[in-house]
Amino acid sequence: MAAALSTDEQVSQYREHLDRAANEVFSTMLGVSCLPAEVERREEAIAAVIGLAGALSGSLVLHCGAGAAMSLTERMTGLKPEEVDATVRDAIGEICNMVAGTWKGYAPHLISGCLLSTPTVVEGQNYELFSQRASLRIERSYRFDDEAVRLTLFCEV
Amino acid sequence: MAGMTALIVDDSSVMRKIVERALRQAGLDLIQVLEAANGVEGLQALEQHRVDLIISDINMPSMNGLEFLRQMQSRSLAQGVPVVMITTESGADHVREALAAGAQGYIRKPFTPDQVRERVLPLLAAV
Repeated sequence: MAAALSTDEQVSQYREHLDRAANEVFSTMLGVSCLPAEVERREEAIAAVIGLAGALSGSLVLHCGAGAAMSLTERMTGLKPEEVDATVRDAIGEICNMVAGTWKGYAPHLISGCLLSTPTVVEGQNYELFSQRASLRIERSYRFDDEAVRLTLFCEV
Repeated sequence: MAGMTALIVDDSSVMRKIVERALRQAGLDLIQVLEAANGVEGLQALEQHRVDLIISDINMPSMNGLEFLRQMQSRSLAQGVPVVMITTESGADHVREALAAGAQGYIRKPFTPDQVRERVLPLLAAV
């Protein structure tokens, strides 16, 4: 039986899995790679939240600006939105859902034991999301095309 | 596989369109695509329409995909119609549960059109 991971190893693994999941979802569904990058924090207009429960409690949040959200929606649907509308919110929610599902699928103890909520999407500016109970916050920024997205994983260790 | 009717059950309208596109890219001649946002709507669609293929998500509000399958079975709806789950849930337990509930195929999101073709066409050919 493999030895349990230390806290630092667990955090490192969660971070690595997040990077892999983001790129797998973007590459497969959107036809574009999504790689970690140091990105200057841009004005964000939308966030999708997927709750995690069971073997791990927390949430995964995907944040991006309006331009990135519309670009992702266009790649996903083939249609070019003119504003952040219901289709854009749906698309962002579904992308976050797939990243969360892919992320947990990399960990044997989470693949069946961690349950996902349906997406919640928040639209607006100048806000910050906090998880009241999560002891760990992993934040990663990614670049695709000329756009950026940010993923935040709130969970316990 | 000409002139088919498919029922796509997913709470995301964007995903329903993506699945439809993947089915068409797989070569299915779809003359009608019915959409449902959850298991309740899926059952209502099956009570009113005859379908040749059912694609369903698992995690949905109101009624999830597994309960949708069980209700289909208990009400003898769409008997003999191939059912394929397309879902973010990839654990062996979920796959087993879906197959036990009546699904014949399982595709994990994210997916490619080729994966849809590989899972769906053999099931339709076997009908």
